[in-house]
Amino acid sequence: MPRQPLLTALAARPLLCDGAMGTQLIASGLEPGECGERWNVDRPQAVQAIHQRYRDAGCDLLTTNSFGGTTHTLAGYGLEARAAELNTAAAQVARRAACEEAWVLGDIGPFGNFLVPVGEFQPEQVREFFTAQAAALAAGGADAIIIETMSDPVETSLAIAAARAATPLPIIATFSFSQAGSQFRTLMGTTVEQAISAARDAGADVVGSNCGTSLSLEQYLRLAEQIVKAAGQTPVILQPNAGSPHDEGGRLTYSATPAQMARIIPALLSAGIRIIGGCCGTTPDHLRAMSQSLKTS
Amino acid sequence: MADLDALTQAVQKGDRATAVKIAQEALAENLSPRSILDATVAAMDEVGRKFQCSEVFIPDMLIASRAMKEVMAQLEPHLVKAGIHPELTAVIGTVKGDQHDIGKNLVAMMWRGANFAVVDLGSCVPAEKFVSAAREHHASVIGLSALLTTTMPAMKETVALIKAANLPGLRIVVGGAPVTEDFARQIGADGFSADAAGAVDLVRRLVHA
Repeated sequence: MPRQPLLTALAARPLLCDGAMGTQLIASGLEPGECGERWNVDRPQAVQAIHQRYRDAGCDLLTTNSFGGTTHTLAGYGLEARAAELNTAAAQVARRAACEEAWVLGDIGPFGNFLVPVGEFQPEQVREFFTAQAAALAAGGADAIIIETMSDPVETSLAIAAARAATPLPIIATFSFSQAGSQFRTLMGTTVEQAISAARDAGADVVGSNCGTSLSLEQYLRLAEQIVKAAGQTPVILQPNAGSPHDEGGRLTYSATPAQMARIIPALLSAGIRIIGGCCGTTPDHLRAMSQSLKTS
Repeated sequence: MADLDALTQAVQKGDRATAVKIAQEALAENLSPRSILDATVAAMDEVGRKFQCSEVFIPDMLIASRAMKEVMAQLEPHLVKAGIHPELTAVIGTVKGDQHDIGKNLVAMMWRGANFAVVDLGSCVPAEKFVSAAREHHASVIGLSALLTTTMPAMKETVALIKAANLPGLRIVVGGAPVTEDFARQIGADGFSADAAGAVDLVRRLVHA
């Protein structure tokens, strides 16, 4: 069945987003120091195969391989001139796996530095990075834009406004939190309330959280409750890591199993989360278990 | 008379204009460069302490450090004249394969704030480059950063190569989001810090031990 507009579908039922991309690229042979976004053009079949595994696991939403796709981030690899090409290709590759049934989320990550007054970057400059990326993702056939792993509410608002100016697509915005004292805060010290209200005020259609530093599944559940409360009528997305990482003989491993991730789905749904997905340490196996849990919840 | 407590306050708040003004007054009044330096270092120590208690956050640290930098620019010629050198020299970088530099930059900043001379090699630094920089600058400390779980093996190899170079008195400290105390010990690093503020105390402890 061809897909409805994303927000219409979301009003009718909770949706499942996909899981980690970077670790899957590495498992497919991406070398340390290599630019993952290049694979959208150089090895599109490998990227498509990753999307396909998440699709086969039951994910409704596929996130493009373009987290580091702003002009500024790509400049770190000398690829700034290819920003539009790599982002458009990212959306096209995801679309091929999604066919006409699943939704493609055009992925935008932080631009990779600090805005004034903390850093040296002017808002106009940074807005251009985001406008260019959002336009290229839309041109490749994305159904929505997801601005993710954000820490700075000002940068996030800027990215939302830039995406809004570049495309009429719905916009999802998510922040990464860690536990700081008794509260959840982003790297920039922003609280859940401050972050979520900044994203809503800037016009995000869906708000929430992905990733985070060293949060357990219990902490994600508490975070979910706080975000839903702060989000009011705006639908909420949560993409936890596979629990908090631990050290296993010098190798860092995310500890939550697919079954453990699946077990928290009912609690996340009753907390009011509308889109559930995964971040660091999650695999198609985690998402398959989560999909089954979502269907039976 | 120039108020050095007010200088400490101004740097802490990141009030650059006030901090520079007081430092200039103090220099004009011939206060010892050492006492002005100490007031500035005290400010960064306090910012570090508050950061560790989640009372201030990264933006506050960055803004304070910029004020510190401007005061130091005023102070440096006078420190040189008075024969006051940085407490020690540290080489820092993100290990090979890892482009991330925000965490590494924060540590470099806090080290400079503690009056360490810092040689910043940037990100994605091959192991050999750490060794040659440490040798060239007579460093007491090398700081290695990794943000990705996938570059942690590169951190291990880098530590092994530095150790093999056998530079006398050189300590290796490591950090980064996925790095743990256990991992640091396993790969043979001399120390680990969970955050940028802790990296200052760690180096002071290691070097003065």
